[in-house]
Amino acid sequence: MDKNDTTTYSVQLYIYDLSRGMARNLSPIMLGKQLDGIWHSAIVVYGDEFYFGGVGISSCSPGGTMLGSPDTVVELGNTEVTEEIFMDYLSSLGENTYRGDKYRLFEHNCNTFTNEVAQFLTGRKIPSYITDLPSEVLSTPFGQILRPILDSIHIAPPGGNIINGRHS
Amino acid sequence: MEDNGGEDPVNNNNDTTVSSEGSIIKVTVKTPKDKEEIAISEDASVTQFKEEISRRFKAKQDQLVLIFAGKILKDGDSLNQHGIKDGLTVHLVIKTAHKAGDGASSSTSCTSQVGSSSGSSSGPSSAAHSSTVGSTGGPASAPPQTPNILTGFGDLSSLSSMGMGSANFMELQQQMQSQLMSNPEMLSQIMENPLVQNMMSNPDLMRQMIVANPQMQQLMERNPEISHMLNNPELMRQTMELARNPAMMQEMMRNQDRALSNLESIPGGYNALRRMYTDIQEPMFSAARDQFGNNPFSALGGNSDGGVQPSRTENREPLPNPWGPPSSTNPSEGGGGTGTTGSSTTGSTNPSVSNPLGVNSASLGNGMFSSPGMQSLMQQISENPQLMQNMLSAPYMRSMMQSLAQNPDMASQNPASSPSAGTNPAQQLMMQQMLQMFAGGNASSQTPEVQFQQQLEQLGAMGFINREANLQALIATGGDVNAAIERLLGSQPS
Repeated sequence: MDKNDTTTYSVQLYIYDLSRGMARNLSPIMLGKQLDGIWHSAIVVYGDEFYFGGVGISSCSPGGTMLGSPDTVVELGNTEVTEEIFMDYLSSLGENTYRGDKYRLFEHNCNTFTNEVAQFLTGRKIPSYITDLPSEVLSTPFGQILRPILDSIHIAPPGGNIINGRHS
Repeated sequence: MEDNGGEDPVNNNNDTTVSSEGSIIKVTVKTPKDKEEIAISEDASVTQFKEEISRRFKAKQDQLVLIFAGKILKDGDSLNQHGIKDGLTVHLVIKTAHKAGDGASSSTSCTSQVGSSSGSSSGPSSAAHSSTVGSTGGPASAPPQTPNILTGFGDLSSLSSMGMGSANFMELQQQMQSQLMSNPEMLSQIMENPLVQNMMSNPDLMRQMIVANPQMQQLMERNPEISHMLNNPELMRQTMELARNPAMMQEMMRNQDRALSNLESIPGGYNALRRMYTDIQEPMFSAARDQFGNNPFSALGGNSDGGVQPSRTENREPLPNPWGPPSSTNPSEGGGGTGTTGSSTTGSTNPSVSNPLGVNSASLGNGMFSSPGMQSLMQQISENPQLMQNMLSAPYMRSMMQSLAQNPDMASQNPASSPSAGTNPAQQLMMQQMLQMFAGGNASSQTPEVQFQQQLEQLGAMGFINREANLQALIATGGDVNAAIERLLGSQPS
């Protein structure tokens, strides 16, 4: 219980709505169910924002992608993990399961990454409404129809640098 | 607590593995690469845990960093202290201790191979990371500076993969169409979508979309009758109702086909059919074929039982199956549709069309289908005029945008008529605003008067002084001066 001498870093989750509110308005018509947003998320820690996209794991200054400021910020808690350890961790992830080519819009997307990193840093998961989004969409007939097209979409908000475990 | 009690509950664990009275718990140790289940006594210390881990993962103990619930497990701690219990997951990072040069802990399986291939060692590499990250803090705040507009735009790079900014959009549409055609249920599902149905009920929009098809335009040049047909709103409306109701459409087509085949039995009828085919149908088919992959029979249905004829003898043969493999259907058998029969057979005022006008009814919905992704990005697009340029230059986009912009009512009808949206004024307002934004980009205003200014002047100069009537005619024909003139002449006596 002596954490007094270990520095902790605060970890936040930045949530963006890729549809800028349009999903909230149009989803009932198009999908038949209410979706409040198309969520993209990123982890902010050590003064930087980290996210996963079609190009791999990227980082930038918080709110520094083209998406601008997040719609919601969730405090995930504190972590003792130092930046050095974290970067090692990210690099390994970036070589393995989170390479750019592993991006899958429905099954292995930015929110998958954020969820995993959040658990690594704090032991907590991200809110379930974010991770439930793909299955919500796929459970509508429209989602099924659009699936082949959507599968080929890679979301990669620009404005960040790519963290590479190795050059691909 | 080195208490190697004799009655050690087993479990593989060899010598050093702890012991004591605690029961064994299974803890999952997860690295970025993989995970392993490690059985350890629940009273064990972190050190002992690390010993086990170092053996399993083949790494040195001092390279191991264990993290649980955001806390780093220090050697002096015990697992209990951190609340590590059976079934929980502990995260592991293996430090690549190569401060100088690489190799070192070339841990086989795991993790950390940080920068070994990129040639930087872990220590400096993390420093390098933070410095690059830091330095991008500055410039990153500016809007993206990537040279290639489309790929530089984040979500919008998704657009390029959807083909929006390039001619690939057409391929995309073609893909969708072929998919739709191969899956009839999809088609009926799509048709049931209120959005699609609304769009279909707007003849102007349909016409614009049809006209926008370059192949269609070619056809129209060669066969002016087709353009007349398109300009006839009555016909369009009927056609669209047909399209909306697939069952009705099939019925119509069957009637059509039957009537046409009966045509053969009148004298001269066969020739007429032949003529129809070669003049009109063939170019249509070849235009359609390119787009639709040899399926000429999925189409907007034709109009009434207009013109075609009486028969001497009834034709009792079963009609060829238009939905069978393309080679088996021979369009010249009269099983297919035709273009305008008006001129060649009966001269009736309603030319019957059961031939594809070049646009698949389902495809008209497609324009809207790219929209879940597309629309969600529109706001961003509007903030950046250059991107909008790119987007608008995609062939179908422009026409759709124009028609959307010119018909803000349609847009407001769409959400309004959908059951769940109800009449949400804010929503309609938003849609209208969105469309107006694009209208601004298109520089076309919204009142028909202004829109048809030029045509109105033309008509005035020709001597049609009734501005009201002129305007009506122009609206009905969508700005086509010649057709408007005919309308006006038709309605005026003498």
